[in-house]
Amino acid sequence: MTIPLTVALRRVAALGLAAVALAACNNKRVSRVDPGSVTDLSGRWNDVDSKLVANALIDQSFAGQWSGQFASAHGGTPPTVIIGSFRNRTLEHVPIGTFVKDLERAYVNSARVRLVASKDERSEVRDERSDQQTNASAESRARIAKESGANYMLQGDVQAIEDAEGREKVVFYQIDAFLVDLESNQKVWIGQHKIKKYIDRRRIGW
Amino acid sequence: MNITLKSSMLIGAGALLVACNGPRRIRERPIMSNGDRTASQDRIISNAAASGYSDNAMLTQARDSVYAKAVATCRGTICASVVKGEISLGMSLSQAMAATRTAPAAWTIRESGNATIMVPRVLGNSPRDATGEVVMIQFDDERVNAVSFRETQGIRVVSSAADTTTDGRATAMADALIREGDQFNAAGDRALALDRYDRALALKRADPMLEYKVATMLDLQLRPIEAQIRYQRFLQSLEIEQIRARGQANAQLADAIARAQQRLIVLERQAPAPAATPAPATVPPPTVTPPDSVASPTR
Repeated sequence: MTIPLTVALRRVAALGLAAVALAACNNKRVSRVDPGSVTDLSGRWNDVDSKLVANALIDQSFAGQWSGQFASAHGGTPPTVIIGSFRNRTLEHVPIGTFVKDLERAYVNSARVRLVASKDERSEVRDERSDQQTNASAESRARIAKESGANYMLQGDVQAIEDAEGREKVVFYQIDAFLVDLESNQKVWIGQHKIKKYIDRRRIGW
Repeated sequence: MNITLKSSMLIGAGALLVACNGPRRIRERPIMSNGDRTASQDRIISNAAASGYSDNAMLTQARDSVYAKAVATCRGTICASVVKGEISLGMSLSQAMAATRTAPAAWTIRESGNATIMVPRVLGNSPRDATGEVVMIQFDDERVNAVSFRETQGIRVVSSAADTTTDGRATAMADALIREGDQFNAAGDRALALDRYDRALALKRADPMLEYKVATMLDLQLRPIEAQIRYQRFLQSLEIEQIRARGQANAQLADAIARAQQRLIVLERQAPAPAATPAPATVPPPTVTPPDSVASPTR
């Protein structure tokens, strides 16, 4: 009835492997990390790209003369901007809203630019205002036809070029943003940011 | 031995060729990799906010001081225009700035003798008053004597009181549209010419010649029924013009007759009485004192 040593060793090894496999199945780890940290996993568009684009566009927008020139021509009144369409012309899913919202935040908090609700946002506000005309008391009612007209519209797009060979891949993103004068159609500011990613899928690596 | 050498050389050359035709790998040093940190937006925004607030505050302060000076030195209609934000003739430099709610930073000012010209510092960012986009203000003896606005149909110059009224503006716009229509007509684009004449007609109703131009354009575009209606309207408006002219002439004639009769009465009363036989002592001579209104006629 004695078990040979080799068989015993095999059984122990098998049990050990099974334990490791079970442990591996349960090793979910969740941790909070700094939102500013660079974490590239798949090579696709991610939060780092969004943040880099936002930073670059904010920097370029404030460095431009357009808001200062407008303010000086209008006695210190900053220009009013409305967010127009920002198109994703890549095959990838690129959430445009993340860096556009960063830009909006920068505009409003810098006091250099006034921002009005975009086409999608204002419909809800208008519904509420319209409702107030019937249901709110006269002294608290928001008055109609008092909206601010925008001077400029922010538009832009994201485009990508991919090149791949074997296990290597290069993705190039170009993000263009521009402000268009609503009266004259003149582009008063153009911002641009380019990201080039090199993705190398090694067979063996550390 | 030779065969082995040759075959190895061939293999080597083949490998070299394959290597030459393969993708050339360019090893670039990464500028950002896992574990790095992206720059904080808050720092950029706070820097922009600091300079933004101070710039705007400086401009607002300059604008407010100009406004205070303008309001302190204005009177009557000029004051009302400053408050309404309309540039009017006779305003001073600070009042014109106050009417456009701007500070000196918005303008380039050039002086030559008694004449001063104020133009926007940045084209495409021209200041505005309640009427429109201002492109030039001309001063004579430090008072506005002409203002130029950029309108859809070009530059509109306001240099007299009549130009500042709504009718004056409509007439200026209509004239600009007629000019555009004439240009399109000369260039052979009758559809656009008709469009401009039609738009001018909306602003300048009582213009028979404009009606005639519209009729002609319709006629040339082979739209006879509409052209006929327009020709009829042209003739009708001419008749109305004739009636109006006749009426005005008659009115002027009646006015002249009334004034002449009035003048005759005055002259008759002022003239010395003709020498006549003395009247009986019991009847005193009549004394005529003309009323003040009659004694000082306007004409």
